[in-house]
Amino acid sequence: MENPYQPIKTKIQEVTRETPNIKTFVLEPEEPLHFKAGQFIQLTVPELGEAPFTPSSSPYEKEKIKVTIMETGTVTSALHSLTPGGVVGIRGPYGKEYSLSDFEDKEILIVGGGVGLAPLRSLFFALVHDIEKYKRVLFCYGAKTPSDIVYKNAVLQDWHKINPERIHFRITVDEGDENWKGKVGLVTYTLDNLNEEIESIEESVAVVCGPPIMMKFVTMKLLDIGYKWNNIFLSMEKNMSCGIGKCGHCQMGKFLVCRDGPVFTYDKIKDFPTIWD
Amino acid sequence: MENLFITQTDFSSLMRKLNEKSPLYAPRRKGDFLFYERVRSDSLDDIALGEIRPIQSLKSFLIPPQETVSQYFASPSFSNKEEKIILGAKSCDLESLKILDSVYSDGDFKDPFYIEARKNIILISSDCTVPAKTCFCVLLNVSPYPKEGFDLNLSPIKGGFIVEIWSDKGKSIVEGSKELFREPEEGQIEERDKNRANLVNRVKEINRDFDFEESFREIIKDSLDSPAWEEVAEPCVDCAGCNHICPTCRCFLLFDKKGKKGFERIRLWDGCLYTGFARVAAGANPRSKLSQRFANRLLCKFDFFPENMGLDACTGCGRCISVCIGKIDMREAVKKVRTKSLSDS
Ligand SMILES: Cc1cc2nc3c(=O)[nH]c(=O)nc-3n(C[C@H](O)[C@H](O)[C@H](O)COP(=O)(O)OP(=O)(O)OC[C@H]3O[C@@H](n4cnc5c(N)ncnc54)[C@H](O)[C@@H]3O)c2cc1C
Ligand code: SF4
Ligand code: SF4
Ligand code: FES
Repeated sequence: MENPYQPIKTKIQEVTRETPNIKTFVLEPEEPLHFKAGQFIQLTVPELGEAPFTPSSSPYEKEKIKVTIMETGTVTSALHSLTPGGVVGIRGPYGKEYSLSDFEDKEILIVGGGVGLAPLRSLFFALVHDIEKYKRVLFCYGAKTPSDIVYKNAVLQDWHKINPERIHFRITVDEGDENWKGKVGLVTYTLDNLNEEIESIEESVAVVCGPPIMMKFVTMKLLDIGYKWNNIFLSMEKNMSCGIGKCGHCQMGKFLVCRDGPVFTYDKIKDFPTIWD
Repeated sequence: MENLFITQTDFSSLMRKLNEKSPLYAPRRKGDFLFYERVRSDSLDDIALGEIRPIQSLKSFLIPPQETVSQYFASPSFSNKEEKIILGAKSCDLESLKILDSVYSDGDFKDPFYIEARKNIILISSDCTVPAKTCFCVLLNVSPYPKEGFDLNLSPIKGGFIVEIWSDKGKSIVEGSKELFREPEEGQIEERDKNRANLVNRVKEINRDFDFEESFREIIKDSLDSPAWEEVAEPCVDCAGCNHICPTCRCFLLFDKKGKKGFERIRLWDGCLYTGFARVAAGANPRSKLSQRFANRLLCKFDFFPENMGLDACTGCGRCISVCIGKIDMREAVKKVRTKSLSDS
């Protein structure tokens, strides 16, 4: 029998600073770990604790896993103090993946805020891998300021060249600076005039990840525009301990987010009074 | 099911024999409560096989309050759990194992520590004889005497016990000491059945104020927004005593610390009544109010768990009533929720 609480020893290969409080870690587990877009892993800093993260690398990249982490507390600060060569532990993957077959032949709207871009990057790579299967991808992203944009070069330039016909971008910042030439405004503004790029809102799917307050307003706006409940995919960030449906920490009504999520369509969770808390 | 009879003296001999191989745990009275204790074969006289459930639940044997589940990149062994014989577990506690099993032994991920411990217990259960005011198994369709899930069950009658065999383990215990068991004499089975009928009636009598037309499940379902919760949870001091004492509250926390060989991960009992149980990074808390946490515990037992598993996650053992500092009685809580929803509709 396997011990599901036991992490795999993992070496940190590379650390990149993305923003003042976000870093990306390139991890090389001793035993390979294959995840699908949407699933998450548990990362251990030996002796200090464990926290859940969604890989930000392509699920097709097998040997290494990238994780993009915002510093907010005990475990994430400890992670931020680690350097290449450091040792962490990894368990997973856990949770349900995006069922990409349901996205086929559809227009896909991706809406990210802040560090919420991390899991969306993994999804984005998965979509790009089979881009001919999807009708169109519109990628909307908002950060506080230009220096808070995660994967800046990719988001502002490189990704735009991948497939300009099928993949479009709308990037905004809450507050610009002297060098910023792009749009200024909350991420919800990127959803204005959506019909210019999405032919059939009725059929389109929207994938949203970001801070709870951002997800709330984006969801409200999407509903307004005409997105169907079951076409809005939301990442639920709940307190997690075990990640495997045993400890009860992530319970949200009848769901265990680690087991039944972490991504839910809006119709499944709309009646919970505290989904945005 | 096969019924046998064993005299009190022969039962003591059987325990002595079993105890040569594996440690024996049985309930003993200490003050208000019965506690499971390790007993030696020469001190079997004061164990309490009848009465009611001990205050500790079987959870204590299967998921200890803290257990090391991971060490510095090497799993601690889980296959070295010693066999334990547990005497005097009650029907409600056998029922609780269905809930624990469904969480720990089922699903995509299995808990090997639980599974090994579970494999290594021998359950010699017994009928309750004196139900307490806190007992309400019958309201949840749990029988006050064991019907399944034990290895052997004992029903106290004059001069000894009627013994029932439910499992292969139980069968092999009986076969290993055939000379101690005999066929029941005339009237002995009738004596047991009469005791059991009386027992059921007494538990029903205790709960006559709570025998509602609707089940607890029906009352609690959709009660999340009931204003009754505020009032019900008023005396609660979020000590999580109800969580810890409950045989079916199974939540835990994985806690990492520095151990002898580098990091060590401990699985600790946790409780959904604690303020920070569901709090996420940066401090947001979906159940910041005590009344939300209190309601969530009962909703978990009578709505969420049944939705997922088709089982109530409560056995009516009444332990949470016995230990509550705020003197909250779950049956009263359900009654208030019911009254409120009736008066609103
Ligand atoms: C499915 C999912 C995916 C996520 N993906 C990302 C992502 O890609 N990027 C990102 O930046 N954030 C992500 N998050 C959020 C991230 O998990 C939290 O920011 C993180 O848990 C905060 O941990 P902290 O210890 O730094 O914060 P704190 O506020 O200090 O949180 C304390 C938490 O740390 C853990 N902890 C502390 N001490 C110990 C200890 N001794 N032993 C064990 N555990 C301990 C516990 O889990 C505890 O709940 C995700 C969350 C979820 C649920
Ligand atoms: S035992 Fe009573 S006071 Fe303590 S948390 Fe439970 S309901 Fe509240
Ligand atoms: S909730 Fe109370 S009565 Fe129900 S099983 Fe738990 S301790 Fe027993
Ligand atoms: S994190 Fe433990 S049950 Fe979901």
